[in-house]
Amino acid sequence: MNDEKSTRTAFVNALEELFKLDERVVMVSADSVAVFRAKELQNKYPRRIVEAGIAEGSAVMIAAGLASAGLKPYVCAYAGFLTMRALEQMRTFVAYPRLEVKFFGANAGMCAGEREGVTHQFFEDLGIMRAVPGFTVFAPSDADDTYDLVKCAYETKGPVYCRIGSGRDPVVGRDRVLRAYGDDALILGCGAPLADACEAADELKAEGVKTTVLNVNVIKPLDEAFLKPFIARAGSVITIEDHNVFGGLGSAVCEIAGRKVTRLGLDDVYPESGTAQELKEKYHIAKSDVIKAVKQA
Amino acid sequence: MMDTRDLARMGNRIRRDVIEMIYRVGDGHPAPSLSAADVIACLYFGVMNVRPDQPDWEDRDRFVLSKGHACPALYAALCLKGYFSRDLYPTLRHIDSRLQGHPDMKKTPGVDMTSGSLGNGLAAATGMALAAKLLNKDYRTYVLTGDGELGEGINWEAAQTAAKYALDSLTVIVDNNGMQSGGSIESVGGIVNLPAKFAAFGFKTLEADGHDCAALLSALQTPHPGQPLCVIAHTVKGKGVSFMEHNNAWHKGVPSPEQYDLAVRELEALIDE
Repeated sequence: MNDEKSTRTAFVNALEELFKLDERVVMVSADSVAVFRAKELQNKYPRRIVEAGIAEGSAVMIAAGLASAGLKPYVCAYAGFLTMRALEQMRTFVAYPRLEVKFFGANAGMCAGEREGVTHQFFEDLGIMRAVPGFTVFAPSDADDTYDLVKCAYETKGPVYCRIGSGRDPVVGRDRVLRAYGDDALILGCGAPLADACEAADELKAEGVKTTVLNVNVIKPLDEAFLKPFIARAGSVITIEDHNVFGGLGSAVCEIAGRKVTRLGLDDVYPESGTAQELKEKYHIAKSDVIKAVKQA
Repeated sequence: MMDTRDLARMGNRIRRDVIEMIYRVGDGHPAPSLSAADVIACLYFGVMNVRPDQPDWEDRDRFVLSKGHACPALYAALCLKGYFSRDLYPTLRHIDSRLQGHPDMKKTPGVDMTSGSLGNGLAAATGMALAAKLLNKDYRTYVLTGDGELGEGINWEAAQTAAKYALDSLTVIVDNNGMQSGGSIESVGGIVNLPAKFAAFGFKTLEADGHDCAALLSALQTPHPGQPLCVIAHTVKGKGVSFMEHNNAWHKGVPSPEQYDLAVRELEALIDE
């Protein structure tokens, strides 16, 4: 079992750095201060955290208003309540006028919502946000990667949507190339399932099957120049994500691959309550599924 | 700033330009634009501190037209204020135009917030007013909403936040013409008791005749320390054009050449009064 480190704490640590760097950076919360582990930050910088209450649509509009006057809002909410309930506000009032607002969605993925059940398991956010013109979409592999990408969001022009996990997130590594054993198969992943992909790659290597595992943490735009040579020389291509197989990383890779891609993810179904491990196994994004996919592809 | 007589004249000049734009372009929402004309005239020519030669001046007062379909009235006010030339009028709703079918803050000089998706203006204005507070600026933010669009719950989400942050630089004006697309606001949206609702949400709430510029100015200039202000402006949909007044068929529509001539004659008579 991998070590754990919280993507939520990593988010807050990076945000504090940005608060220090630029006084125009503010956090906009939809009663998300506790969820994002930002209580201490709020005590330190009470004026920098705008609390809109449990009202995601209004929180996004308030952020648009703040950004129109020159502030740099970081909107924090549960991934689904943000990208589904407030999607229109994100599209029409932030992305369309190209305002500098960054969005962070917690509980992204089935496993991050685990025991809460479907209402709190959000596995459509990447597909939804990928479909909105003007958005850059991040899906960090782990806490350290989250820290880097929150800072990267600041440097990125225009709106950004970034996934944040459960707060009990496996340590994967922040590198783009996580395993480079060989080209029998290429495994492209994002987020926590990369931990399982790496374990699978290690086990396959012991059996003589040599794979490469890449951390694709920018879902839109895909870095085609970087990815295409890997895709071209691999014996088979597999994607893995804690997301519906429609719309997310797997779909994005299919758009550029020009060859067969085996997509691991939720098979267009609604999951249920359970532990993260149980859910991964039942809904086929576990280590065993990666091994099976590599052997069958 | 203009006196109330000139403001009333400006309201009618806006109306005349609204009719001209919609007639020439062959598309648009005349009646909702006409009901909003006097409020918009009072704001741009009687209240707001703006610089037409510097539309992005960071200390300017802000205006959000939440009922974005009334944008011909906003475009007319901006043009008459000097933000752009009348040459843009015939381009409204056409390809490559700076005048979109609904307001676009990146395309039209003087438009402070993109709008048109109903219900969202008050929340955007709340963010703008909050920004003034956080940045220690003394600009004011005005938002004009329709009455029908108050059916959108996001208005009341934002109202709570505006009152919580004691946003006394924020004013919401409701263009209370009593009609939405499908009929009366009572019968379609169940929208009643608006003054009591805003008061209950923590706004200082006033009512005024939305076509009486003296009454509007007085309401808009009423101090409201520690709380946002709501002015319920009682208006007539289609105001100023006899055959459009109280006639919801003109929510969206284009006058015939004969109707256009009549409307312009009526409005020019009002301007010359």
